[in-house]
Amino acid sequence: MARGFRWTPAASFPDEVWEHVFSFLPGDADRNAAALVCRAWNRIERRSRQRVFIGNCYAVAPAAAVQRFPAVRAAAIKGKPHFADFNLVPRDWGGGAEAWVEAMAEGWPLLEELRFKRMVVTDDCLELIARSFKNFRVLSLISCDGFSTAGLAAIAANCRNLRVLNLHENEVEDNCPNWISHFPESFTSLVTLNIACLEGEVNISILERLISRCPNLKTLRLNHAVPLERLAGLLHRVPQLVDLGTGKFSAEHHPELFSKLQLAFSHFKHLKSLSGIWEGGPSYLPAIYPVCEGLTSLNLCDAIVQSSELLELVSRCKNLQRLWVMDLIEDNGLIAVASSCKFLRELRVLPSDPYGLAQPISLTEHGLVAVSAGCQMLQSVLYFCRQMTNAALLTIANNRPKLTCFRLCIIDPHTPDYITQEPLDAGFGAIVESCKDLRRLSLSGLLTDHVFKTIGASANCLEMLSVAFAGDGDAGLHYILSGCKSLRKLEIRDCPFGDKPLLDNAAKLETMRSLWMSSCSVTLGACRVLAQKMPRLNVEVIDERNGGLLDSRSDDCPVEKLYIYRTIAGPRTDTPRCVWTV
Amino acid sequence: MRGHCDYPSSSKDSSSSPLSLFKPMRRDLSTDLNLGLSLSPSYDLQDNLPKEREKLSHWPPIKPLLRSTLEDKVGQNSSRKFFVKVYMEGVPIGRKLDLFAHNDYESLLNTLRCMFSAAMICPRSKTDHVLTYEDIEGDWMMVGDVPWEFFLSTVKKLKITRADKCLQFS
Repeated sequence: MARGFRWTPAASFPDEVWEHVFSFLPGDADRNAAALVCRAWNRIERRSRQRVFIGNCYAVAPAAAVQRFPAVRAAAIKGKPHFADFNLVPRDWGGGAEAWVEAMAEGWPLLEELRFKRMVVTDDCLELIARSFKNFRVLSLISCDGFSTAGLAAIAANCRNLRVLNLHENEVEDNCPNWISHFPESFTSLVTLNIACLEGEVNISILERLISRCPNLKTLRLNHAVPLERLAGLLHRVPQLVDLGTGKFSAEHHPELFSKLQLAFSHFKHLKSLSGIWEGGPSYLPAIYPVCEGLTSLNLCDAIVQSSELLELVSRCKNLQRLWVMDLIEDNGLIAVASSCKFLRELRVLPSDPYGLAQPISLTEHGLVAVSAGCQMLQSVLYFCRQMTNAALLTIANNRPKLTCFRLCIIDPHTPDYITQEPLDAGFGAIVESCKDLRRLSLSGLLTDHVFKTIGASANCLEMLSVAFAGDGDAGLHYILSGCKSLRKLEIRDCPFGDKPLLDNAAKLETMRSLWMSSCSVTLGACRVLAQKMPRLNVEVIDERNGGLLDSRSDDCPVEKLYIYRTIAGPRTDTPRCVWTV
Repeated sequence: MRGHCDYPSSSKDSSSSPLSLFKPMRRDLSTDLNLGLSLSPSYDLQDNLPKEREKLSHWPPIKPLLRSTLEDKVGQNSSRKFFVKVYMEGVPIGRKLDLFAHNDYESLLNTLRCMFSAAMICPRSKTDHVLTYEDIEGDWMMVGDVPWEFFLSTVKKLKITRADKCLQFS
């Protein structure tokens, strides 16, 4: 073969063989590459592809996607830009799921799995999903809005084989409080039920019956409306759970309730993940001690637990791989994490007081340094704090060169190294130089163009970069766009980056999924030039202040918010008044 | 309270014409009462929001859901909540807001500015927005008409309306 391999691959085997071979390709990127080899492979690959991921719902027309991949069983589609999570994108920006659901209902009757993220999913969409796909199994909605529990009732009533209903951080109206009673009595297939984001009360008796008849239920995440008094009763019915999100975890103190809870938790033999614990405080928290040792994932962002209690808790969680926690854990708690949780891979520390209203908390760079030294498997960090030093970042970089995700948010913008008063260029520079596999990076603190020079030159695997309040001028953006070989998503706010680097690196934008820039120094004229030069880019200007027409404005008019993405579908037709495609 | 001002559009007065809702505000009312009337830029004189702070309203980058949890925690200890829906003209989706997380009209307005983004709420002169509420009897009132506590006892939902539309009523 090494000698005389003739490049007529499709000719040598029947299509079915290639289809089978392709099924071993681990990722979408590999299948995409295979599809580019020759016409035959393209045909075979597209006809046999069962899973599609669409990172931007406007990058391709729904009908085109459905037509190209007729055999799809699982689809994942994302809508709004990531900054929508932080309220930077207008509510009515777009990202409607309707066109997609309609096209899928038409072309993919065998669809089994559907995942939407940051999209507007209406009740009509949910009803259409419920009606259209006979063997529908997985519905996952993350950070979506536009629907109500009435739509969920339609899913419950009609999707007889539903395994996963994952509702994560959506805004859901409660038009049908009894929606959960719409699961038929014969329905037993649930494996995952996550309703943590729902606001309304759930009928506990109906929920109890539902989970009792689903023997394969592994994940159950309740919402905060489920009172602690009813939790033990629920848990006794599902001792097989692997992933539990509790409801409200506080109540008047009753020794009896405590022991009931403790007993319920001690029956879990397979529990790996625990979240919820809403308002959980010291009185009931010890009830979860029996499961601590088995946990690999613990999310305490909704608990109100102070450092000392957290310290006690985390030191029992020897097998933890993922820890999400509020900064109330403080440096001392993180030092305990560093010495107890030797398998920790992911740490998120979120701010309990982002606006600096309460008593200052002793959470500093020391906590993160300790974790980076003690947890040798650490790969992913999201850390909110108020002070940082270059020395600390340097140590972290040296300790954990395998980091793939490093998101540091120093809460006050433009905060320098608090000891030397220097910018944090050297520290972040060390992170990108040392961590060769870094795929995601968020910058904060005082930064000059130097850091972007290092990032552009060294961050070869970086796929997503978030920048805020940084840089001195155009050079910063130029370094990023002319370097960062693998960059897919770039989001920038409040940086003095202007037209030149954007236009100079126009071709780079077509290799990326999207670029967001708000409160930067880009002008409308540059957007016009860019749009003209790069017909495969949609250049969208978002301006919520003025109602006037974009066409009438002059080239030097500053652009408040800019969203650029590549697409093969052309300009979108559903833009609201505040969005213009240039 | 009664002596201080009578409520031209109290919920008792269900026949009140919309006109009374948009009477010019009397200047002798307390700051609290003055606040809710309109969301026009003149409003910012009140707290003189510098541009920088306005921008920072979406900073640090944390999710609104976390924000609301935090607000709960801050205003905590009684975990009482009073959710009302807020609608804005032209925005298809209503949003939910916990009134008990607010102490006065000013903090309510600040939240709304964040929620619907400051720029939308304070556009140029022609399209000023007005914050109105539906009271328990189904009448639409102007926010700021009555003292905060009284407002809390009667409000059912909030709506941000364009001022020119409101004027059409009169």
